[in-house]
Amino acid sequence: METTAATTYESLQSLLETLSRIGAPYQFALIALALVLAAIAVVPAARHLRSPALLAATIVLLAGEVVLVWFHYRLWQLAEIIDPATGVAVGRVAVPLWVESEKLFVWALVVAVLGTVMRRHREELLPGAMLFTALLIAGAALSGKPFTEPLPGFIGQFVGYLQATAQGGQAAQSAFQGMYGSMRFYYNTWYMWVHPPLLFVSYGGFALSFLATLVMLAKRHSSFETTAYRWARWGYLPLTFGMLIGFPWAILAWSGESWWWSGKVNMSIMLWLLYTAYLHARLYLRRRGMWRVVAVLSLLSFATLVLTYATTYLVPGAHSYAAIGAPSAFADAVLRVLAGGV
Amino acid sequence: MDIDEIRQRSWDFGLTVITVLLLGTLGVQSFVGTIHVWLAQRADPLWEQTSSAAYIESMNMIAAPQLILLVVAMGLCVPKRLFSRRLLVVASVAMVVLGVGTGVATGSLSTGVSTYLALAALIQVAVIALTAAGAKGPSYLTEGRLTKIGSGLLHLGFILFGIVVASLQQSPFMHPVFWTSTALMTLGTAMSFYADRLAVRRVVRVTPETDF
Repeated sequence: METTAATTYESLQSLLETLSRIGAPYQFALIALALVLAAIAVVPAARHLRSPALLAATIVLLAGEVVLVWFHYRLWQLAEIIDPATGVAVGRVAVPLWVESEKLFVWALVVAVLGTVMRRHREELLPGAMLFTALLIAGAALSGKPFTEPLPGFIGQFVGYLQATAQGGQAAQSAFQGMYGSMRFYYNTWYMWVHPPLLFVSYGGFALSFLATLVMLAKRHSSFETTAYRWARWGYLPLTFGMLIGFPWAILAWSGESWWWSGKVNMSIMLWLLYTAYLHARLYLRRRGMWRVVAVLSLLSFATLVLTYATTYLVPGAHSYAAIGAPSAFADAVLRVLAGGV
Repeated sequence: MDIDEIRQRSWDFGLTVITVLLLGTLGVQSFVGTIHVWLAQRADPLWEQTSSAAYIESMNMIAAPQLILLVVAMGLCVPKRLFSRRLLVVASVAMVVLGVGTGVATGSLSTGVSTYLALAALIQVAVIALTAAGAKGPSYLTEGRLTKIGSGLLHLGFILFGIVVASLQQSPFMHPVFWTSTALMTLGTAMSFYADRLAVRRVVRVTPETDF
């Protein structure tokens, strides 16, 4: 088994090097792509290039996604988990395609695809969709780095498991328990293969709804509100279903943890509540002045979406990557103000 | 538009405003909760072990009356004209009293909330059945029978989900009730949004476009 662990470790390193060799220039190209997209979006003279540019960006992102699918497949082949007590293989870890460093990349891909296929008010929404896609691409390339620093959480845990397995003894058993738990209750659950993509599809729809609301505020015409509503309802359905299916999973996977009313869960509930409020308010859109209320709710809902995403990285707790006590200048400043200092 | 219709529309609008406000206050509570958790954990790294249970209890206590008011508004809003407004208000007050009474008698907030929600669910079932049967009573803001049934289904799903959260988390009934509520909310939302595409006999409604 020690030999197997060492061999697997070498194969893993080789896989990561291969991905990095492809990914380093690709990530650099992504940054260039983001800049070009943003430039074409804002320069009026390049208006005729907008649709082809977004289509090209979608193709580039899809090509990157294909590479990630290949990487995950190879990872799945390598990530066989063996019980050190019995020597029996208990399964392989199937890491979903939208976790950790890959989140922003997937969100960028969804917005790019939706922006490419949208028809209603295309001309008006295209610059915003391109800018938003460019922002997400830049975030994926500069912050997420899914090709050069892939899945840091999983790779770290798996390498730890392989090292402990090579050592044997109690360390191997403990590492196995942790890895097996992660496989069973996180990576390999059907929920992790359904919940995140549903939410990214909804986030894409909400992004376009937000853009349509901005155009509506600029042009003061009800047809843009209708477009905003159509994209909001596109987003609301997968958001509702995606959030609901998390409930029984959370009870099982987070048993013993204080997850109810935790930071990310709170923000997700707030997100759903605000979009629900928006959809209710627009029933009275024709009433005098209601369009302003509807617009405010739409903008507030999208701001909450961004905050909800950020909460994953800022507020510790269940459903969060943030570590308790991790440095945060903003949190420290808030605490100082609350304590009466400057 | 006669005076009764004007009154009805004002009543509907008032209920929608209350619904939006309640959704907003629950949203604010969630946001404040997040900030509280964030700052508390920074101030005390052991906060989750020492104080989170009390925090969750406080949040539940604050959310429960808002949730009940939301369901009351829902109950008053959807079955308009199915019963008289006066009867609906009396029935809603009676249901709240029954829920509070059950909660006090059993000493359990979740039992009280669940009792109220179970009664509200019964009303929703009646509304959906009457709407599906084509009764002339139920009146909605939205038009079309599929949209009306969808609205009823998603509200029933929401109430059932409330029951799951309030009292079925440790019960063997959790999964069947939860999946029923999820199916109702998803199907109901889809029917409300896309009724015109789902209908066998399609009616294209043209909404006039205007400047704001």
